[in-house]
Amino acid sequence: MELFEKTAQELSLLMEKKEIKAEELALSVSKRMEQTKDIINDYITANSEEELLLQARLVDEKRERGEKLSPLSGIPVGIKDNICQKGTVTSCASKMLENFVSPYDATVISKLRENDVIFTGKLNMDEFAMGSTCETSYFKKTKNPRNLEYCPGGSSGGSAASVAAGSSVVALGSDTGGSIRCPAAWTGIVGLKPTYGAVSRYGVVAFASSLDQIGPFGRCVDDVALLYNAIAGKDKMDATSINFNHPDYRSFKGQSIKGMKIGVPYEFFGEGLDEGVRSRIEDAKKLLTSLGACPVPISLPSCSYALSAYYIISSAEASSNLSRFDGIRYGHRAENTKDLTDLYVKSRSEGFGDEVKRRIMLGTFVLSAGFSDEYYSSAKKLQAVIKNEFKEVFNSCDLILTPTSPFTAFKLGQNSKDPVANYLADVCTVPVNIAGLPAISIPCGTVENNLPVGFQLIAPSFGEDRLFKSAYAYENAFGGFLGTAKL
Amino acid sequence: MKIDIDHLCKLSRLSIAEEKRELFAKQMSDIVEMASKLPPMKDDISFLDENNPMELREDVIMPSLQRDVLLSVAPDTQAGCVVVPKIIEREE
Repeated sequence: MELFEKTAQELSLLMEKKEIKAEELALSVSKRMEQTKDIINDYITANSEEELLLQARLVDEKRERGEKLSPLSGIPVGIKDNICQKGTVTSCASKMLENFVSPYDATVISKLRENDVIFTGKLNMDEFAMGSTCETSYFKKTKNPRNLEYCPGGSSGGSAASVAAGSSVVALGSDTGGSIRCPAAWTGIVGLKPTYGAVSRYGVVAFASSLDQIGPFGRCVDDVALLYNAIAGKDKMDATSINFNHPDYRSFKGQSIKGMKIGVPYEFFGEGLDEGVRSRIEDAKKLLTSLGACPVPISLPSCSYALSAYYIISSAEASSNLSRFDGIRYGHRAENTKDLTDLYVKSRSEGFGDEVKRRIMLGTFVLSAGFSDEYYSSAKKLQAVIKNEFKEVFNSCDLILTPTSPFTAFKLGQNSKDPVANYLADVCTVPVNIAGLPAISIPCGTVENNLPVGFQLIAPSFGEDRLFKSAYAYENAFGGFLGTAKL
Repeated sequence: MKIDIDHLCKLSRLSIAEEKRELFAKQMSDIVEMASKLPPMKDDISFLDENNPMELREDVIMPSLQRDVLLSVAPDTQAGCVVVPKIIEREE
């Protein structure tokens, strides 16, 4: 087995025992990046072999000096290209920010620097994180490493594809309506959307600020816990981040889930759920039951409307957040403009792709005079109702199990002219963002064409401990996941 | 629902190429139709989260990013300022 195929926790142990050097690992991942780049189009900015080795040598030197190192030290980590990293381009997969070199580090990047990780580069995504297929990127369309005719899901498709292919060991993504969980499910890896406020958003380019959260991807549960341990916590630079005494999430490995009540909301298993997906999710439920968990039928009736509420709230916030891209202080500026308004219109129209324009226009529409009560205020009220429904339901269960997505991955280009068909991929994930809850997508096998399926576990606010406890138990009973894709 | 694309373009400072307008109008109409599927909501529902009020940090002076660093990402600068088109017209 090549080093790039190993998990972060295996590699961490090998480095700690000095059986391998960070430099050898960096070289292995760099060679893999060279192989994957033209096959799956995973990176927007890939750091060179030299850059990777330079970072790795510093870690090796620290280890030689006997310095106390974090378990993440020397681990190659990929970063979604909407997270600012000082000195590197943060493009958000948009022409608008094609040449934007971030002058500062996001808080999650500073934390990873403290952990001495190896930064591999910036990963492809849907433009400004708007999409479920990774196809709205201005630069390239990432392919699913499990089957190259299919998309990896989105919006953090580059992060998921890279981890699944081994061109990074773990990666960061962001999740506004399912952008970590959907690609994790479709590429057969693990992805965590943390509780809103658990991870600082300082330095992630804002899409919908009340819903966005940064979170980790890994090929196994332990790797996700390892990365989550490093990034969680209150940050004075993000007023919405919350003070919480986070446990060591790796400590939940090997714990029993006997007696844990798992709510199964029937609204998520109705029409529109692919039969192959349904069957894999049923298998997952049975396996959890065999471990002592008790499935409990529950109902979350308002979640049927969550998709509408999500697109209203997220687009309203996006139309406001993206008004900063005006061609003045940073980002794309159009040439040959006749006045200030012309500069705004041309810079924005040239800089944004069609999906971003559609979302800005939807947001503008739902906030416009005569429509804001009917749309935006109603959606915000529905959000309060959905939050309450979850709260009530958690009186009778510890976790909720649903499919992560009602389908497996879309074929590349399948819905290129039908945005609403793509939006349906998010139907099971958006209620979680609307309610601000944590959720994890866990692989539960594949269906025809080697397409992976994932199931989602949802916990109450700051219930990541329950997510990890059950995910570890499931992974162990399932016998491990798909590992690194062969290309 | 018919969506007034021109009005939305004006409000959001965007323009849509002529050849894409028809498709765009159809897509926007589909999207708005999807977003319209909301149940009637009671008037007395508050959407403020009173249990989790946002805690603002103390308003203290701290080092921040330097002007030259921030100007380095601006599209056009001169003498330490961002260059913009003329915004005040001369009265004839």
